[in-house]
Amino acid sequence: MASVTFDYVKKKYGEVEVLHAISLDVKDNEFLVLVGPSGCGKSTLLRMLAGLEEISDGKVYIETRLVNALPPRDREIAMVFQDYALYPHMTVEENMSFGLRLRNTPKEEIDKRVAEAAQILQITSYLKRTPKQLSGGQRQRVAIGRAIVRKPKVFLFDEPLSNLDAKLREEMRVELAKLHQKLNATIVYVTHDQVEAMTLATRIAVMQGGYIQQIGTPSEVYSRPANLFVAGFIGSPTMNFVNGYLEQEADKLYFKNDTMKVLIPFAIPLANDKIDYKSVVLGVRPEDIFIERVLDKKLSDVINVDVEVVELLGHRKNVYLTAGEYRLLATVPASFNKNPGDKMFVWLNLDNLHLFDKKSGVRIN
Amino acid sequence: MNPIVASLTEVFQMVFFVLWSVFLVEAYLYLHFKKYEEKWFTPAMLAGVPLAGLVYAITAVGPAIPGSIMAAIAMYAFLVELAAIPFFKLVVRGRYSLPLMMIAPGFIGLAMLIAYPLVFEFYLAFHDLKLTTLKVWAETGSIPFMGFQNFVDVFVKSPLSEVTFWRLLLRTLGWTFVNVFFHVVGGFALALVLNNEIKMKGLYRTLLVIPWAMPQVVAVLAMRGEFHSQYGFINVMIERALTAMPWLAHLGIQKVEWLSQHPFLTCTMINVWLGIPFMMVVILGGLQSIPKSYYEAASIDGASAVQKFWNITLPLMRPVLAPAVTLGTIWTFNNINIIYLVTGQAGGTEEADILVSALYKAAFTYNRFSYSAAFAIVIFAILFLVSMLWLKYSKGTDSAYG
Amino acid sequence: MADKDLELARLENDRQQRRDKIKTLILHVLLILACVVTVYPLLRILSVSLRPGDKLMSTSLALIPEGASLKAYADVLTTTHFLRWLWNSLLITVVTSFIGVSLASTAGYAFSRFRFPGNKLGLTLLLGTQMIPAGMLLLPLFLMIMRLGLINTYIGMIIAYSVSSLPFSIWILKGYYDTIPRSLEEAALVDGTTQFGAFYRIVLPLSTPALAIAFLFNFTSSWNEYLVARVVLSDSARYTWTLGLFELQGQFLTQWGMFAAGSLLVTIPVLAVFLYSSKWLISGLTLGSVKG
Repeated sequence: MASVTFDYVKKKYGEVEVLHAISLDVKDNEFLVLVGPSGCGKSTLLRMLAGLEEISDGKVYIETRLVNALPPRDREIAMVFQDYALYPHMTVEENMSFGLRLRNTPKEEIDKRVAEAAQILQITSYLKRTPKQLSGGQRQRVAIGRAIVRKPKVFLFDEPLSNLDAKLREEMRVELAKLHQKLNATIVYVTHDQVEAMTLATRIAVMQGGYIQQIGTPSEVYSRPANLFVAGFIGSPTMNFVNGYLEQEADKLYFKNDTMKVLIPFAIPLANDKIDYKSVVLGVRPEDIFIERVLDKKLSDVINVDVEVVELLGHRKNVYLTAGEYRLLATVPASFNKNPGDKMFVWLNLDNLHLFDKKSGVRIN
Repeated sequence: MNPIVASLTEVFQMVFFVLWSVFLVEAYLYLHFKKYEEKWFTPAMLAGVPLAGLVYAITAVGPAIPGSIMAAIAMYAFLVELAAIPFFKLVVRGRYSLPLMMIAPGFIGLAMLIAYPLVFEFYLAFHDLKLTTLKVWAETGSIPFMGFQNFVDVFVKSPLSEVTFWRLLLRTLGWTFVNVFFHVVGGFALALVLNNEIKMKGLYRTLLVIPWAMPQVVAVLAMRGEFHSQYGFINVMIERALTAMPWLAHLGIQKVEWLSQHPFLTCTMINVWLGIPFMMVVILGGLQSIPKSYYEAASIDGASAVQKFWNITLPLMRPVLAPAVTLGTIWTFNNINIIYLVTGQAGGTEEADILVSALYKAAFTYNRFSYSAAFAIVIFAILFLVSMLWLKYSKGTDSAYG
Repeated sequence: MADKDLELARLENDRQQRRDKIKTLILHVLLILACVVTVYPLLRILSVSLRPGDKLMSTSLALIPEGASLKAYADVLTTTHFLRWLWNSLLITVVTSFIGVSLASTAGYAFSRFRFPGNKLGLTLLLGTQMIPAGMLLLPLFLMIMRLGLINTYIGMIIAYSVSSLPFSIWILKGYYDTIPRSLEEAALVDGTTQFGAFYRIVLPLSTPALAIAFLFNFTSSWNEYLVARVVLSDSARYTWTLGLFELQGQFLTQWGMFAAGSLLVTIPVLAVFLYSSKWLISGLTLGSVKG
């Protein structure tokens, strides 16, 4: 297994630059997930690593080897595609052994590796079948098996679970996690689904508009999002955002707008050109909005809200609240018994407040 | 056995020659795409290409080539390579190597088989090649220059013996219009009938397609036989009808000398018979792709069968009909086969000719090659012009439909 | 009240069923008439081919004539060059189709997969060649072939036929390659092939339907061709079957029977191939969606 380094990598289509000077280190045995909305450049970056797209500028290293000029077959990588890309005219066995046969690997070695991979993925009984005869989930496993057999330096995954139904996706996520542990592999994984990113990654790189917005462990990215985009992208349901301004009252700092006033309990950097304290965004996650005073959390002052819509999800409820012109979503236990139109009080968890500069989106605290 | 072996030998010689040519082309391209940066490239190519050219010429023609031609080949190859090397080094630089190498054999074939003949045709049109000058040309390769005279002659002199250009043009337009009309109407009618839930639909469809499936030569010659004034089916039936019901003669029904007196009509009838199945198949495919829900909704709204046809079937068939009609029109306009097969023999008539069949006869029966070249260019220009106008028109109406 | 409604409904139902039956009857009648029109000439060929030698010219319309005999078939096979003509046609057609399809298989791939200068232009030009009237290209081609001394040779014919088979084959194959997902070739590249290797090992095997269709189309159009052959071939022993048959009908006073017999001998296989392959053509054209 090997490390991967992107060094100021750019991608241009004609005059349009779609990836801007991406620098990224993937450590050995890491499961790095590139996550972001469609068009953010994550697939392009992966394909440049694979050798399927030309690198407009910058350098890409696998281990310490510069791979810019190498064709895919010389990079010692394996890739799992979104549509599985299984060769329709070959059996599962032939699909899996194709790469090895191209390199004139001895037959016993091929058979051994294919059997091993088939066992790990539980597809041994399908070896003689053709892709046409398999279901989506089975094809997915074969595609993964084809990659495992190659014993590559890096595994590349391009949205492999997108074509599966929800239940299957959950199952496969667990399989992939187990695979990573078992194989001790370096994995670069692309997805638009932040749940996959959070559950599978050792580190997440959030991308948008051709830039990396933040790199960090899942918990870092979740608890300290670097900007508005990351804050709104990671976490389900989405974080609540409220516009307002910061004002000093006595020696305390408050976040204010026409319907609420929230104490800011931590220190923030001094005013400078980058941050405009007259225009900030307060971010608070739905699970950090409480409907009753709990003693073990540091809570804000009360906020008056109206209940708009209540959704029952089984074990808990999503409650849409309005405070003046602002809407907040809170996740509450299923025992919540207020109805639309009711008025009530909520408290915010002061430990988990996020402040962002409205104009640049950058995190303040 | 012998002639078969001889024919096989001849053909395999050609196949090997083609393979050998492809190999040379690919080797040339490979070296120029991949190896142009090597030290030995320039000198090797400047020496090797002329040599290869000579070897190739020998394999093509045989070892008995006069020294002067050998020298000429070597010199030309050298000069071409002198220009090619900087081109590959500075302009191409090895890019697009794979696609161009993959296209090269096919492309060169096309250049030789289509591009060069077209250029040659223009050359012919401006010179004077006919039966009398043919021998001179075959020996020396030169023909007297004619300027635009041939083009003028196209409009002024008859391509054959009597019929004029304008008559041909008119007749071609008539031929095209009438045939396409009946093809579409007939094909549509049959498709509509077939588009119902009836038993043995497959059998009917198979039988109805036979005129299209049969080799055209057989079909046309057979049909031509049926128009024979004495033994052909049509006249035999007319005769029998007249004997059974003599009063029909008063209506003007009588045996007709189809081939000698109404050749154009005969050809048209044969072509209609030939062309309906194709339209039927295409239209049937289109009809079957119209979802039944449209018709059901119309029924609920209270539409009659005619209204359904007018408001649902026709508009939804447009994307299918448009290319089919366009193709059919072009094919009909260019259809030499029928007219020639029916009227082209010695002793045949000119009265049925359309533009393209007159062209073929002028070139190959009367051997007026230069004239025909000019004629062909004029015909193509007409076709091209009409196609452009048609494209503009159909794009205009398409945008009107949104 | 309800009974009366039921009664009315039942009557209406019966009337509707009768209308349907009549409609079906009319449809069948129309179709049968149409079929008669399309099939009759073929049957007439059959009956003429079975006529005994002394009754060749007759106004009888009987399908199976009196004294039917197979002599015409025997004659056409033994006294004319018929088998030779078939052989000539076969040789020329097979080689032309092969050349067309092989050159087109790589060219079509290049047009389909790569962006290079001249891609779009090339395709438009290819389409444009379909519009050229046959005579227009034939004239210079004929003169070129004559100048090269290839008149009346197999090679000359193959050259002439390849003109039309190439552009059409490229077009068809390109269209088919477009439907093969690129991810298959990308997977092959990652697995270890070169770009050409991906074409050769993955795309080409998957394109057999299109290759077969292109081959078939070329085969049938060359096989049935007459006008070009007429111009290039002048020696009776070298004729293709279309020219040969035409020759039989040229002197039609005595050759009617043989002409009919020869026609039928060629038509039956052609019809059979056409009908067999048309089912396949349709399934082959929708075979595009290959999601591994």
